[in-house]
Amino acid sequence: MSKKYVGKDVLKVDAQDKVTGEAQYPSDLKFEDYLHVKIKRATYPHAILRDLDVSKAKQVEGVVDILTEKDYPDLNKFGLIIKDQPVLIKVGEKMRFMGDALAIIIAETEEAALKARDKIEVEVEKLEVMSNPQRALEKDAPTIHNDIGDLCTNYIDPDVGKQNILMDHHLEKGDVDKGFEEADFIVENEYQTQHIDQLPIQNEAGYALYDESNDVIKIWAASQWLHDTQADVAQAMNLPKEKVRIIQTAIGGAFGKKEDVSVHLHLALAARHTKRPVKLVYTREESMISQSKRHPLTIKAKTGVTNDGYLTAWEVKVIGDAGAYASSSPAVVHKGMYHCTGPYNVQNVRGDSYAVYTNNTYGGAMRGFGTTQMAFAYESQIDIIAHKLDMDPAQFRYQNAYDIGSTTPNGQKLGKSVNLKRTIESATDLAQWEGEISE
Amino acid sequence: MKKQGRGMASIMFGFGYGEGFPDHSIAEVEITKDKRIKVRTAGADLGQGFLTTMTQIAAEVLKIDPSYIEIVGQDTHKAKNSGSTSATRQTFFSGNAVREAAEEVMGKIYHYGSLYFNSNHPELTVKDGELYACDECEKITYWELAEIVEQRGKELKAEATFFPKTYAPDRKTGQGEKIYVAYTFMTQVMDIEVDTDTGLIEVMNVYTALDVGRAINPQNVHGQIEGGTVQGLGMAMMEDQVIEEGITINADMTNYLVPSIQDIPNFESTLIENNDSGGPFGSKGVGEPTIIGASPALSNAVYDAIGVRIKSLPITPEKILNALEEKK
Amino acid sequence: MKISLTVNGEKRALDVKPETRLLDLIRDDLGLTGTKEGCGKGECGACTVIMNNKVVASCLVLAAQADGAEIKTIEGLGGKDKLHPLQQAFIEKGAVQCGFCIPGMIMSSKKLLDENINPSEEDIKRGLSGNICRCTGYVKIVDAVKEAAHKIKSGGEENV
Repeated sequence: MSKKYVGKDVLKVDAQDKVTGEAQYPSDLKFEDYLHVKIKRATYPHAILRDLDVSKAKQVEGVVDILTEKDYPDLNKFGLIIKDQPVLIKVGEKMRFMGDALAIIIAETEEAALKARDKIEVEVEKLEVMSNPQRALEKDAPTIHNDIGDLCTNYIDPDVGKQNILMDHHLEKGDVDKGFEEADFIVENEYQTQHIDQLPIQNEAGYALYDESNDVIKIWAASQWLHDTQADVAQAMNLPKEKVRIIQTAIGGAFGKKEDVSVHLHLALAARHTKRPVKLVYTREESMISQSKRHPLTIKAKTGVTNDGYLTAWEVKVIGDAGAYASSSPAVVHKGMYHCTGPYNVQNVRGDSYAVYTNNTYGGAMRGFGTTQMAFAYESQIDIIAHKLDMDPAQFRYQNAYDIGSTTPNGQKLGKSVNLKRTIESATDLAQWEGEISE
Repeated sequence: MKKQGRGMASIMFGFGYGEGFPDHSIAEVEITKDKRIKVRTAGADLGQGFLTTMTQIAAEVLKIDPSYIEIVGQDTHKAKNSGSTSATRQTFFSGNAVREAAEEVMGKIYHYGSLYFNSNHPELTVKDGELYACDECEKITYWELAEIVEQRGKELKAEATFFPKTYAPDRKTGQGEKIYVAYTFMTQVMDIEVDTDTGLIEVMNVYTALDVGRAINPQNVHGQIEGGTVQGLGMAMMEDQVIEEGITINADMTNYLVPSIQDIPNFESTLIENNDSGGPFGSKGVGEPTIIGASPALSNAVYDAIGVRIKSLPITPEKILNALEEKK
Repeated sequence: MKISLTVNGEKRALDVKPETRLLDLIRDDLGLTGTKEGCGKGECGACTVIMNNKVVASCLVLAAQADGAEIKTIEGLGGKDKLHPLQQAFIEKGAVQCGFCIPGMIMSSKKLLDENINPSEEDIKRGLSGNICRCTGYVKIVDAVKEAAHKIKSGGEENV
């Protein structure tokens, strides 16, 4: 089935703009007479904000205004799935990680905004900082969010504290206990992954402008999902969606990091407040501290195997460090668990996953969405087992590999486009792998 | 001493949001009198080539050179929801929406063309932006047809939505009929060299076979394999945002290291193209899967090289040296 | 303070503050936004320009230090009507994804090829080691530099 344009190396339609420097990324746009915005952020990872004094900062020459929660007490929290992140922290309420915003500084120059930011006075009452999800799961651990509805099931391990569990998920396929009984041996290990920054080369940045004629706030900033960012900004500001217009620019990389709201909300508030164009560009440091991370996952994996090299049961326990706010955590951590066996036939699967609030920078979306971390665990298990069996790791994979009709840990029966075995054949061919593989 | 090792990883990735989430993409295709074909989509191009892929799909269906295609609507007030550029979903979701919208327009080209030529549909030939009823007959261009159609008060324009169904898994068992729209698979073999004195790892070769269904743009798919794998090697060997008591201690690119051009291996890759998935022209998504194999393949290669198993990422020289010390 | 410098062949006289970086001068004062900022610490290479025939991270150079200098930015290399062989090769070889690192990457490549029109793969990697790309895995960037060298040598297009 030959095609004329599909299957061909048609050159990137936007590449010419990018190689000449003409492509307009958010910070490249040109506005007349715009104001600079900077954000004053949390001074401690877990604390009650006792006082926020912007009076001295407002006196800095060139400062137009400084906005705090007092100026906008009716803002709603925002977030991709669960709305748990405050736009600005209120005096008397908690900051939960170092990226929390306390004040929006608007000034004629960047220098003035930075100078004013240093003059904002913050008083806090420090609370226990929970950087390790294991601590957050203890029954006596302080609660990070008191006002999130209970999203948990009744299937949580009774030995752990529920108060910081954002969401739990579970898998139960087949008869796992019987599966382990049928195994000739069991391999059990714990794996740990790290916080990763997606590190797109372009940091979060944008402009906004308030159009008084139709009461629309226009925001030029990158978003991986324009209409979702629009909805999140609009609900936080109690506006109808059509009053928030987001215009895409060239995007300097994302990898999941530009799914969450970043500059958008603070820009929208500043633009409407000043009725002038406003610009906010994050530094690399600010981007790394304030925007989402790849979740560190702690994965306990237990695999039952027969001496002839077939998998009889697989069990995982997954703890994901969700950080201070939900972001994509309600979807990431268990997506990892749902891929716990890798692409291999296992009839009996059990799993528990917990996304746990801590005072770290929040976990969100990054390429692979939990399954990247899980693959480190399942492919390590597979390799360990192959060596225990003294079997060619390619052959071991091949004889357990998914095919049409296989069922995933979710019990989803795969009906078409399952070409895993061909990938094993082709990759080993390319690598001139020693040893034959067969059914 | 330098020791060589070889590791392997096979992975799967269920793409789209899945789990019963109302995941969909809306797209619109319009032929205008000014010799443009406008494809309206709010989908974001993060660099992977979304705009190019949509251009190719529209050009293929409408049988016209891609240079006539213009992607418009990168604006909440100018296009409807195209869903997110994430979850490896845009080629499958927006690609299907663009394909369906373009097919609707093609149907209109045949309908109004057959009225114009006073012929039936099978007699019409549509090629390179023109249509005609016989080889020697008069030809009209899409643009002329758009003008004729406009005189009738109609448009050569159509909107389509791709909205496949998935189901929410049971909260207790995680079981469900269809959790993800489809899965992508990949196998990688990786050759490395470990310096047992310094603990440094050099990645020599990466061999990849990726189950793509069909590559809409093979060069760009290879770009995903290379880019995803190198990003995965960052995760495997060096990247670590260190947060101690809530404070990031390496919030800059001086202390948070990502792979540079000096760190890259040789690549040899094969695309498995069985044209058997539900995406446009049998394609499926590849963006995320390409990062997933790197860290286990590297870890397995380390074991093959020096007989130590590192179970935490990243696999730093320090961890290698400590593990070698323990093994003694 | 007043400084004068030549940017992309054009003489410019400007009044700058002592703390103004060359990057700010190029982007804000001259409006040449092809040069990007990725880290502000000279680590990522997105702000690379050629100054007095040397590759510099323009975020680490003060504008005052550029007084009297000759600067070349991506805009001085070639426009859409006449692409430089490097720009052409980056497009053809699929070396551009998000594109944010590309202007800096191309400026480092330009300097590399100005000095060595027959670079080995190792030469290319050394020449571009200060430019971070997060998207491509660099493979197609190496291909593009090789292709550009070939284009320039074969003289099909004038070396700008």
